[in-house]
Amino acid sequence: MVGRVTQTTLVRDFLSHVQSLQSRTAEAQEHVQTQKRINQPSDDPGGTARVARLRSEDADLRALQETVGFGLSVLGAQDAVLGEADALLTRAREIAAQHANGLNTPGERQAAAAEITEIERALITLADTTVAGRHVFGGLATGSSPFVQFDDPGFDPNAAYTGTSEAFHVRTGRDGVTTRLTTSGDQVFGDAILALDVLRSNLEAGTVPTTEIDEIASAAEGLRLERASVGARSRTLTERGQEILRGIHTAREEIGEIEDIDLVEAIVDLQRLQSALEATLVSGQTLQQSIVDYVRL
Amino acid sequence: MAIFTPLSIGRSALLAHERAITTTGQNIANAETPGYRRQTTEFASQDQAQGFGVRVVAVEQAIDRFVEAQLLRQESRAAGAEVRRDVLDRVQQLFPVEGPSVGGALDAFFAAAQRVADRPEDLAVRGEFLARAEELAARVRALSDGLAREQRVVDDRLRGDVDDANVVVQRIASLNVSIVSAESSGQRANELRDQRDAALLELSEFVEVRATERENGSVDVELESSGMALVIGADVQELAVEVGGGGLDGSPVADVGVKLASGPVVTLPGNPGGRIGALLTLRDTDVADRSAELDTFALALRDGVNAVQTDPAARDLTGAVGLDLFSASGAADLSVELTDPRSVAAAIGTNPADNGNALALLDVAEAPQAGLSGATLGDYFAGLQAAAGNAARSAEDEAAVESAVKSSLEGRRDAVSGVSLEEEFTDLIRFQRGFQAAAQLINVSDRMLDELIGLVR
Repeated sequence: MVGRVTQTTLVRDFLSHVQSLQSRTAEAQEHVQTQKRINQPSDDPGGTARVARLRSEDADLRALQETVGFGLSVLGAQDAVLGEADALLTRAREIAAQHANGLNTPGERQAAAAEITEIERALITLADTTVAGRHVFGGLATGSSPFVQFDDPGFDPNAAYTGTSEAFHVRTGRDGVTTRLTTSGDQVFGDAILALDVLRSNLEAGTVPTTEIDEIASAAEGLRLERASVGARSRTLTERGQEILRGIHTAREEIGEIEDIDLVEAIVDLQRLQSALEATLVSGQTLQQSIVDYVRL
Repeated sequence: MAIFTPLSIGRSALLAHERAITTTGQNIANAETPGYRRQTTEFASQDQAQGFGVRVVAVEQAIDRFVEAQLLRQESRAAGAEVRRDVLDRVQQLFPVEGPSVGGALDAFFAAAQRVADRPEDLAVRGEFLARAEELAARVRALSDGLAREQRVVDDRLRGDVDDANVVVQRIASLNVSIVSAESSGQRANELRDQRDAALLELSEFVEVRATERENGSVDVELESSGMALVIGADVQELAVEVGGGGLDGSPVADVGVKLASGPVVTLPGNPGGRIGALLTLRDTDVADRSAELDTFALALRDGVNAVQTDPAARDLTGAVGLDLFSASGAADLSVELTDPRSVAAAIGTNPADNGNALALLDVAEAPQAGLSGATLGDYFAGLQAAAGNAARSAEDEAAVESAVKSSLEGRRDAVSGVSLEEEFTDLIRFQRGFQAAAQLINVSDRMLDELIGLVR
């Protein structure tokens, strides 16, 4: 404090303290009302930047979550198809084995040929399964079937699949992580369709099945391997889904830690400032005292 | 004659004390007048040759020249810091932390791209992607527009301040004339000087000035930064505004200069300080820089996305080669060129169900951009927002500091020049007593004369 104090000094100091308290009170009120520490970038510039990045991460993780769900539905459909296809091939093997000894009648062979035909048709139909109009063994393309149907005029068991050989990948993690969702239709079903067709035409011609049994067995083994691969990718996706969920939770927690106020602390601050303001205003009464009250000239 | 000496002493005392009471009265009346500096009556005793008694030598103002000069400088700094705080706070409000923002739109754009990568043949999904692109472009344009408007507001304030400053400059010159004529008789024109110093303080809010007093009492005022004169005695060189370069909104901004007595306007060479100086810096550096950074962002977005879209192996749903998604020469005109959802090039190769190019677009979100010195798009924009926040925060802190320093200097000035009613009242008592005593002296002299005359009769 300087030596000489005048009315102006006293008033100016008083007003400056009041204004400072009022401004801090207004700030504290804003914190309590919005429940946020950061209402504009200047409240915490570093925190603002971190929150922006965390929000971005959260948005990306939620987008990835949707993709994981989509991926699991596609892989799930493939798994169901491969299970049913395995059953079909098992039945075909039985029939082939029954007729391998050459002791059946032509009538029995014709009946067997008819059944194999049905199995072949059924397999091709299964292979053509769609999820939301997209062929799960045809690179997830929409539109007409990538498989030539058995009854189509140009049906050739060596080239039943006319769709894309490219696999369909989806992004399932940050930093460029992708998951393969499809295997090309001819890779999965090509051997099986061919083996069934050879068996069918031999039975129709009356030839005794010989190598067909092993062909079908090996095709079935191929389907099982593919099913195992689908299962593995499914499990990976499920795990990734859990990771993503944890990531979202962590991001939101961190955002909260940076952004949110401690309500109790904020209310206590506000009350403290209000008392200080009240006390200061009361002290303003001393401004009214001066020598004029005491001296009579 | 010696018999009249006590009478004349009494008379001189009466007049002197009356003058002192007048001065005290003036102080009391002007205790709250802004810029008023308390006055004291200087008595000097008269010796035998001068006829004894007391004389009022001068009515002095209590002034600390050093503090006054510091205060003049500090007024400029505080005014400049305050306007800087206000404008930078408005600029940071263009980067809100809650609600719709460029950052949010950028995230939504890439989330929509992820949907396209999952369902490349879905027209609705592609349409949504284009809609998100439009939203992003619109927000960037809005932010650019906001910055341009803020710059225009600053420029308008600048022009207004130049006009206001000139009014004060004229006032100082006319006060110079009044003071010179009032003081030609030998008496200091204290009240006029108070007014002139108040005017100088007002002027220093606008620009940083220094004042030099001449022998005849008039004051020359120069710009501190360049030495260019605004007031020379009774003559004035006003601040003037000239048409300058283009602002962010395309219209020209104001160049500030001094209109010389000889005619031409000379542009100010440096920053004149005060509000005008602060506004110039805000307009040409702070706001302009932020806008340039936003332009850089817009161009990097355009280039990053278009590079993927127009990849030679990329194809859209119709099998055609991909076209540019964004067009921009800066942030102000960033727009989406494609309207047909089928024209988004999501595939690599001719299979329309392929999503290779859509996956490549997703990589852009996390890829370091050459145009952004290796930062990703999201990080760069977050950096812009943080920079706006930092600038506003620093300006706030600086304004508080400058204001505190100013307050402290004002306190020191008041300690010297301010009126203390306690002091004046006690002075009033003193001089009243002195007046009473002088009146008694005259009484006594009067009776002495009566005696003398009575003797003669």
